[in-house]
Amino acid sequence: MSQAGLVEHVFRHEYGSLVASLLSRVGVHHVDAVEDAVQYALMQGLNFWPKNKAPTNPSAWLYKVALRKLLSEFRTNQRRHEILNQQPDLVNPASVELAPVPLSGEMSDAMLRMLFVACQQDIPLESQLVFTLKSLCGFSVKEIALRLFISEENVYKRFSRARKNLKSDPDVLDALTESDMIIRLPAVHAVVYLLFTEGYLSSHSDTAIRQDLCEEAIRLALMLLQSAIGKVPETCALLALMYFHLARLNGRQDETGALLLLEQQDRSRWNQTHMRQALQYLQQSAQGEHLSRYHVEANIAAQHGLAPSFSETPWENITESYELLERIAPSPLHRLNRAVAVAQWQGPKAGLQVLQDMELPKWLNRSYYWHAVQADLQYQSGEGELAKRSAQQAMQAAPTDTIKQLLQRRFKKWSLD
Amino acid sequence: MSNKTFMCILRSESGGCEQPSPSEMEIMYAQYQAWQNKFTKNILDMGNKLSDSGSVVRQDGVNDGPFIELKEVVGGYMTLTAATLDEAILVIKESPMVANAGVSVEIREISTP
Repeated sequence: MSQAGLVEHVFRHEYGSLVASLLSRVGVHHVDAVEDAVQYALMQGLNFWPKNKAPTNPSAWLYKVALRKLLSEFRTNQRRHEILNQQPDLVNPASVELAPVPLSGEMSDAMLRMLFVACQQDIPLESQLVFTLKSLCGFSVKEIALRLFISEENVYKRFSRARKNLKSDPDVLDALTESDMIIRLPAVHAVVYLLFTEGYLSSHSDTAIRQDLCEEAIRLALMLLQSAIGKVPETCALLALMYFHLARLNGRQDETGALLLLEQQDRSRWNQTHMRQALQYLQQSAQGEHLSRYHVEANIAAQHGLAPSFSETPWENITESYELLERIAPSPLHRLNRAVAVAQWQGPKAGLQVLQDMELPKWLNRSYYWHAVQADLQYQSGEGELAKRSAQQAMQAAPTDTIKQLLQRRFKKWSLD
Repeated sequence: MSNKTFMCILRSESGGCEQPSPSEMEIMYAQYQAWQNKFTKNILDMGNKLSDSGSVVRQDGVNDGPFIELKEVVGGYMTLTAATLDEAILVIKESPMVANAGVSVEIREISTP
């Protein structure tokens, strides 16, 4: 799977757009039958294409095969229903059969609508994410489990939750209005952002696997930007943010796969094409009245991306940006980041000051971020004993081996371990 | 050098095998293409799948189903050309078909008088 970044994801991406188009044709409550039919069509392609020539329009080919399969399933079911004397008219096969293959624009439109349907409030965010990955990005349960660091059982649970919700309202796709979509746009942004964050922060040693999620997030955001509803400055800001981070992805690890701190990263390994794309989107995002968290985060990522070296990082600007971010989207994590920036700018004691009167939520106390930052700042301000205790807590809380190693290397330098 | 023709018969253990995900399928497809490009000269006919329904006719009657053994199903066939059986084996060994667990390929020379 190491080539994942290079292969054009025909099968996976066709999967998503086929599922979405067929659902918009037969109704979301048939999601199981639709996914089976699409899976069948892809298998047919896999068996048939190498032996003959691949069709000039694979999408249309797959669509026809999937639709035929779906209809034959429906007919079988219908007969079964008739035998059981139930409602016979599941679907009218004739009307569906005659319908033409949708144009590619309509296909991505269907995909987009499906994304908005999946992002409804009564589906929990984790379930929205799993449903998006499975049904619209074509990942299997196993692959999602691998990428989200959760058990397959858990993936399945989250997926079923979303599916149950969608099935309960067969007309959910038709009923989706433009104003629904406008209201849900922030939720769609949030899912795309979460998708990206999972890819970016995960410490899986295979970069290709991690990059997969980042690239899917970018693909969805690009699709969003091309739509009437999604063509807003926030989407541009989100894209800028993602491209800035993607540009640095390669530099975050050394040859052995160990994570590197910003200070140790070789900036020549950052991807300049992605940097340029990021800057373009950042420019496009600078319009309108509303300043979103994505704008501010993109701005912070830009400051890092444009700094020629670690020592030339504009820490004062970054500190101000984090202050702004805390006001727009309050989170103790943003405060923690601000403390790091302040420490770089005005020294470790000033950094500790930022954290002093902070209320520490339980989840943050359990994470290694908090303790690692504390250890760092305490050590630098000469509080050896305190630093030692924080370092131990950070090590205990580290979720993966790569992160443990990163901390170990850092703490070893001060002989704290 | 006159080449020989070989019939390759694909067998796989029936049932119990999970369907590949779309991303696994795209990897399989890429492997297929790479393999075909590498051995264009050897591959005469990519053949086809054999469908599940079939019968075995024996002296003592007709058995329903193409099953030779209960667990193994003949899934498809293809024809190759190669100078020797060893060369044909090499071509098949490198193919993505035998990469899957439970799949075997029987290679027989088609002898012409």
